Amino acid sequence: MNVSTAKVAVAFGGPSPEHDVSILTGLQALRELDGARRDVTGLYWSKTGDWYRVEAALEAADFIDGVPRGAQSLQLVTGGDGAGFVAGAGRLGRTRPLPVDAVVNCCHGGPGEDGTLQAALDLAAIAYTGPSVAAAALGMDKLAFAGVARAAGLPVLPRVLLAPGGDAPALGFAGPYILKPRFGGSSIGVEVVADSDTALGRLDANPHLRAGAVVEPYREDLFDLNVAARSWPRPELSAVERPLRTTSAAEILGYADKYVGGEGMASAPRQLPAQIPPALTAALHDAARTVLRLADVRGVARIDFLSDGESLFVNEVNTVPGSLARYLWVDPPIPFIDLLDAMIGEALSGPAARFSVAGADGTVLRRAGGIAGKLA
Amino acid sequence: MSHALRFAVVALGVASVALAGPRWLRVAQREHYQVDAVSRFALRWWTRVPVNGAGLAVAVVGLMLSARWPAGALATAVVVAAGPVGLSWRGRTSPLAWTRRLRTLALVWAGLEAAAVAGGTVAGEGPVAAAGAALAVPALVDLACALTAPIERLLGAKYVTRATARLRRVAPTVVAITGSFGKTSTKGYVTHLVGAWRSVVASPASFNNRAGLARAVNEHLADGTEVFVAEMGAYDRGEIAQLCSWVRPDVAVITAVGPVHLERFGSEDRVLQAKAEILEGAPCAVLVIDDERLAVLADTCADRGTRVWRVSGLDPSADVAAVEGDGVVAVWVKGELVAPAVPVDARPGNVAAAIAVALELGVPIDAVLARLATLPTTPHRLEQSTGPGGVTVLDDTYNANPAGTRAALAALARRGDGAARRVVVTPGMVELGPRQAEENARFAAAAAAVATDLVVVGRTNRRALVRGARGAAPAGGSLRLVVVRTRHQATEWVRGHLGTGDVVLYENDLPDHYP
Repeated sequence: MNVSTAKVAVAFGGPSPEHDVSILTGLQALRELDGARRDVTGLYWSKTGDWYRVEAALEAADFIDGVPRGAQSLQLVTGGDGAGFVAGAGRLGRTRPLPVDAVVNCCHGGPGEDGTLQAALDLAAIAYTGPSVAAAALGMDKLAFAGVARAAGLPVLPRVLLAPGGDAPALGFAGPYILKPRFGGSSIGVEVVADSDTALGRLDANPHLRAGAVVEPYREDLFDLNVAARSWPRPELSAVERPLRTTSAAEILGYADKYVGGEGMASAPRQLPAQIPPALTAALHDAARTVLRLADVRGVARIDFLSDGESLFVNEVNTVPGSLARYLWVDPPIPFIDLLDAMIGEALSGPAARFSVAGADGTVLRRAGGIAGKLA
Repeated sequence: MSHALRFAVVALGVASVALAGPRWLRVAQREHYQVDAVSRFALRWWTRVPVNGAGLAVAVVGLMLSARWPAGALATAVVVAAGPVGLSWRGRTSPLAWTRRLRTLALVWAGLEAAAVAGGTVAGEGPVAAAGAALAVPALVDLACALTAPIERLLGAKYVTRATARLRRVAPTVVAITGSFGKTSTKGYVTHLVGAWRSVVASPASFNNRAGLARAVNEHLADGTEVFVAEMGAYDRGEIAQLCSWVRPDVAVITAVGPVHLERFGSEDRVLQAKAEILEGAPCAVLVIDDERLAVLADTCADRGTRVWRVSGLDPSADVAAVEGDGVVAVWVKGELVAPAVPVDARPGNVAAAIAVALELGVPIDAVLARLATLPTTPHRLEQSTGPGGVTVLDDTYNANPAGTRAALAALARRGDGAARRVVVTPGMVELGPRQAEENARFAAAAAAVATDLVVVGRTNRRALVRGARGAAPAGGSLRLVVVRTRHQATEWVRGHLGTGDVVLYENDLPDHYP
């Protein structure tokens, strides 16, 4: 199928703490595709989990109160002949399917980035951009991802699970500590604490940490380095970015730095390309290429590192990054529409996951004989 | 010949009805489709502005003459089509929005107009009917509001049913807040103080009636939410009881009782009764006892077994108190001083109420105190900024009650040095019923004691404000009184007359469907 004639739907919002920033990303993608005269429609996923079809011309302000005026209610049907996005039972109870060749997934930080939405789209046999169920789930689990990276020989900081209840664990490294939700986006709910007792105390207090948290050493000398990566049409890395902190009181790059007061990630303060030694850039690129394979990157991912200027640590992978990391592709410059086209092309080229029944040929059932007989 | 004339007159009458319709439909929309609102506003517009008064006289005379001379109806039609002068058709502050509800209303109203004109024409009095129908546009919009009210309730029930199911599924602890003023600020404080500890969703700013709260629940109350903070407003008794029948409060808060929406309530007693409905069935109540009536209510609640937090902005012996002094707030819990000086720029009673709610929800006092210094400011409620030219701007344009104006004038008095000009720009307060003129006059007098200049905006309260200011100014006094027609003219005046170091307080703003 031709990328420029495909029926594309941009999905954004969702029941996630990053619902609002996802709207910004979604509207950017929607506007870009609409500007290129593509056959595109908006799919707004509300905080309460309902789907709506919305116009491409909407502004962020239209979503402040909730579902924007004029939105058309949809249902996502995952099985049967009528699977897909369906305009609700209207007059005479008739439903009208919304034709969609590919969904551009712009949902951050929650069920759009952890595999939940991907699973529903797989069941509905709808092609989509970005990570598969498995890759999304891995990217969302900071503990599992660090383990995978460590197993592949990549440099990572110690990262330990902190579970509610019980005594403070022996962490094996000195404080202060940085406390992060085990599952979640990259910047919400992160705290710096002095000791492990305080860390344990915060588990109950911080609603973002209650589902589980990881602890790492907090090192003041470390700064962030980010790079975007994609696999389609060929494995490729963007320029390296060094985000700058503006919120004076914050010890780490927080949600406010990234998203508050602008067009989301695309307008956050940064050094691009980062002024770092060539050797560090080379090491970062090597590690990023490994992560590209380990994390099975689809669409565009942003891989975040920490560095003290010499050594390097893999921090995390964002499988549906803010603004789809479009602002990082400066060398060579790749226009946003080309990025989107590549993502859509990748989605159309084949499903993110294939179900298989090979081997389920009845042999086991034949050998099993009668269950009733065996139970008697 | 006469037949053709009569036909033309009726046609023009119908045209003027069509032109006048959107104007008054917009007023209905702005006034929440309250049944008598449009007629009240029509009276205000036709009588407060001199040129409109003249127009109204012409229109009425035209109507009376039209029985003998059909051409008389023409005069009525022209006046109705063109007037009242100043009431814009589309609206500047809040344009007419063709929502489903407004379309329904417009259809019913058009049907009423058509019936009036057609009926009159069949009876052989076409011109009289046309003129009457034109003059009666506001009354017929009100009638249409009354006729559509039951339909709207029925349609709204669907959303309430959905919201009720969602509330049951998510099962958050519900904090319900009402009060004649301070409820939006208090809601913001509660959300802020509890938010670091529990996942909180608050109803958006103006979503405080049945339809709004249903929408807040349906569109914002995500799964996993632990605390839902619901603001509840009321224009009549029974409304909050209705809300509480499906948004069942676990903690009910009343911030204040005062003379707001008196036009609809009638008296402050009825305001109190309406607000008190929030306490029925709530296991816990938080009441700001600085108002004697709320102190009495607290005793009543305690007697029937409700857990009561008596909170105060004045009395340190209350369950929770936040007492202001020297620009900082001292916080007392159960008579114990827990924080001697928190820099808080907020109404202390509201802060105390929010602290009580946080404690009731199990947030440790240390966590509460840690967040207290970063309370969010409520937009347009004594919000300070520096305008072009170095003028300090106090934006209190969402304030519309006498107590709020006193706080605002106190804030104005605290700012600027001796040489600074202190200016109050205001259209006055509305919805104070029979006390409106008196309260505005009193406010203007208080402003005259603090301000160097008073800029009166619009005509709604002009007479009372000017009277109050003149009465208070010392003989040969220094208060400069400026009278302008629109908010825009007022800001132009401020730009032209104020400079660095001067302070301007914008006290209340009226949407442009007020004269």
